[in-house]
Amino acid sequence: MIEFDHVSRTFGPKTAVSDLTLAIARGELFALLGPNGAGKTTTIRMLVGLLHPSRGAVRVCGHDLVKDARGAHLHLGYVPDEPCLYDKLTGREFLWFIADMFGMPRRQANSRIDREIEHFELGEFADDLSESYSLGMKQRLVFAASFLHDPSVLVLDEPMVGLDPRSVRIVKDLLAARTREGMTVFMSTHTLAMAEEMADRVGIMVRGQLRFLGTVAELREQMALEATTLEHLYLEITSPRGRQP
Amino acid sequence: MTGRKPGHDTVRLLSVEAESRLFLRLRATLAWETIRSMFRDSRLRLTLVVLLSSMFWGSLYGLFVEAFAFLDDLHADVISLLFNAFFSSLMMMLVFSTGILAYGGMYCSPEARLLLTLPARAEIIHAHKFKEALWFSSWGFVLLGSPMLAAYGVVRHSAWPYFLLMLPFMIAFVVIPAAIGSMCCILLVAWLPRLRLHALSVSAIAVCVAAVWVGWSTCSQIQLDTMSAAWFERTFARLAVTEQKFLPSWWLSSGLIEAARTDRDGRMSAGGLSEAVKFLSLLVANAMVLQLFAGWLARLAYRRGYSQLCGEVPARRRRRQGWFDRFLGAAGFAAGRPLRLLLVKDLRLFRRDISQWSQFVIFFGLLGLYFLNLRSFGYNNVYASMIGFLNLAVVGLILSTFTTRFVYPMISLEGRRFWILRLLPVHRDQIVWSKFIFSFAGGLLPCCSLVLLSDSMLGIPWRLVAQHELCCVILCMGLSGIAVGLGARMPELRESSPAKISSGFGGTLSLVISSLFIMIVVILAAAPTHLFLVANTLGPGFVAPSGMLAWAGGPWGTAVSLTLIVAVGLLATFVPLYLGLRAFRVLEA
Repeated sequence: MIEFDHVSRTFGPKTAVSDLTLAIARGELFALLGPNGAGKTTTIRMLVGLLHPSRGAVRVCGHDLVKDARGAHLHLGYVPDEPCLYDKLTGREFLWFIADMFGMPRRQANSRIDREIEHFELGEFADDLSESYSLGMKQRLVFAASFLHDPSVLVLDEPMVGLDPRSVRIVKDLLAARTREGMTVFMSTHTLAMAEEMADRVGIMVRGQLRFLGTVAELREQMALEATTLEHLYLEITSPRGRQP
Repeated sequence: MTGRKPGHDTVRLLSVEAESRLFLRLRATLAWETIRSMFRDSRLRLTLVVLLSSMFWGSLYGLFVEAFAFLDDLHADVISLLFNAFFSSLMMMLVFSTGILAYGGMYCSPEARLLLTLPARAEIIHAHKFKEALWFSSWGFVLLGSPMLAAYGVVRHSAWPYFLLMLPFMIAFVVIPAAIGSMCCILLVAWLPRLRLHALSVSAIAVCVAAVWVGWSTCSQIQLDTMSAAWFERTFARLAVTEQKFLPSWWLSSGLIEAARTDRDGRMSAGGLSEAVKFLSLLVANAMVLQLFAGWLARLAYRRGYSQLCGEVPARRRRRQGWFDRFLGAAGFAAGRPLRLLLVKDLRLFRRDISQWSQFVIFFGLLGLYFLNLRSFGYNNVYASMIGFLNLAVVGLILSTFTTRFVYPMISLEGRRFWILRLLPVHRDQIVWSKFIFSFAGGLLPCCSLVLLSDSMLGIPWRLVAQHELCCVILCMGLSGIAVGLGARMPELRESSPAKISSGFGGTLSLVISSLFIMIVVILAAAPTHLFLVANTLGPGFVAPSGMLAWAGGPWGTAVSLTLIVAVGLLATFVPLYLGLRAFRVLEA
């Protein structure tokens, strides 16, 4: 569903992402980890088409993000780290705009909007202008919008920022349910516990390079460290003098 | 992995028409909700905007009626020259302003980032943001142009179709420079990323230099032969460059002049109407073609340009402590050090925020340029004094816009950093006083220098210069007191945008009180001086003021007016500051 084919991205003299090759299958939840400045945000931006790769290609469901951006976006849902909404639209109006943008038939759009409002417990404020929302409310609305068209691929950039514990649980349950139904999730996060709990595979990026790719069990095996947490493994890999898998 | 298949079977890409309709609906909903919330939350501001705009429109209309009546008697060709000069200069401004606004909307706004991650066409997103840029860049043109064109029609006794055609002419015209501006913006971002800043700076400087040169050379050589035949010839020759037939501004002015033509019965002439429709068609056709080009260019280069811009490495800027900061931090007694350090902090923020100091430089620079050209005209004492006081009022009004826009929100903007200030060993009063001193000291030098420049260009006697300078000091003090005091009295600590803070109720109130304060000070200062000059300057046949008026125009009247000015200034400074300090001491954030 997601393919990074020898992708590199340079910013002037600096290489943010170097020769990234990665394929993520249908129904997989993939977590991209790495310290600040490792290239996670650049990777996410290339995956949602905001940034073009300097070399290589990024494809979603077979659609190249540069050559056929609209085709790829039809299959994508995106939850950015900072939610962007229209201050002068209500939550419901925003969901209708997204549903219309994906060309959903009206009856179906109506039922999907009700469904997501219920899932994310937006009912109390769905008809208020979003300028009055707190950060957590905005983030829940963005989640609802990204799930609205049942995307094949969901891209999450630091998804839990601003969410209260109950909303975090809702999101986790939904992600688990939707991946079982075949949705692919690409998530960038610093919350290692969440990655350990939810991800089928993790990728650890350091200075633009994918230093490790596999399951947490494989990482433990490669690092020859039994019964240790992902946090220990992560710190070992990302430390300048740490061991390499 | 069984169960429901992700739902791309239920979604589809929209047609161009459906996508355009969707964005139109979005725009309409946003506009409607904005208007509704203005009526609901900002009635004072809305009333003021409507009232002041109507007054501005009416004054311009009256001025233009007088001007056209005068020029109509003088020479009809002058009208065509004036229209061409006016519209061509506005055209240049529209290219730049739309380009800059399109850049902000298409490449820097969170909305653009959202839309580019949706299955929307680049050209439709461009069209959506282009309309926004067009609206914001051209409302000033309509506000300036419509009273002028209406006045022209009234003076020429034009038939109703002229007034009906005015709006379509203006709309078709503004789209052309706006489309050119947005195309330049797309091209610069996509293909000249490194040259973008340099290209923009060089073009802006070139345009400014050219404008200053044209203005200077037009005005500086005019001395006492203003309105003579030689003066007209020289001015015509300089402005002839704006009468090129390939310029849309020429199509607009020619079309409007044709539309205003009437036959002997006072009806619109058939020839005039057909010519006007021809020019309107030319404008509409060009506007549409340019919009098509802009859309095509956006399809080709918008996403690429956005990616280019995201890929730019922000330059790492190291700032050292300037000599003035070091001096300010070290000078004076140790007791005042916290206050001075707060001042240094605000000074650094001002220096490093280009939007603040650039507006300051542009407005005061333009005012300085205008004052430099005052010598071009000969005045008698009465006019010189009147213009001097009007200039004083203008300086005050410009300062009041700055104090409202930048000083009023200063306390509110401390909101998110309020915990830092609360943990520091600084008394809350010092925070408010530091803002007041910053605003007062910052406004004093440019305002007093400008007033001095204006007075010296007008050849005003030293006694009046001293009076103007005193008024200027009082204005700086009072305006700073009003902005800081009200800012501390009505802080909006949760808001991070200075524009939103200053456009709220408190900001509007601050602007209104500031304007009233300026009016009172200037009227109090101008009235006795004006009466004194009228009594002593005008020649025989004029009845000099007597009784109260003569007393008001004499030295006692001046002394009383100065005392009143100082009293009003002290009230305007310390009453809001007292209210602000009292509220700020008990503020919980």
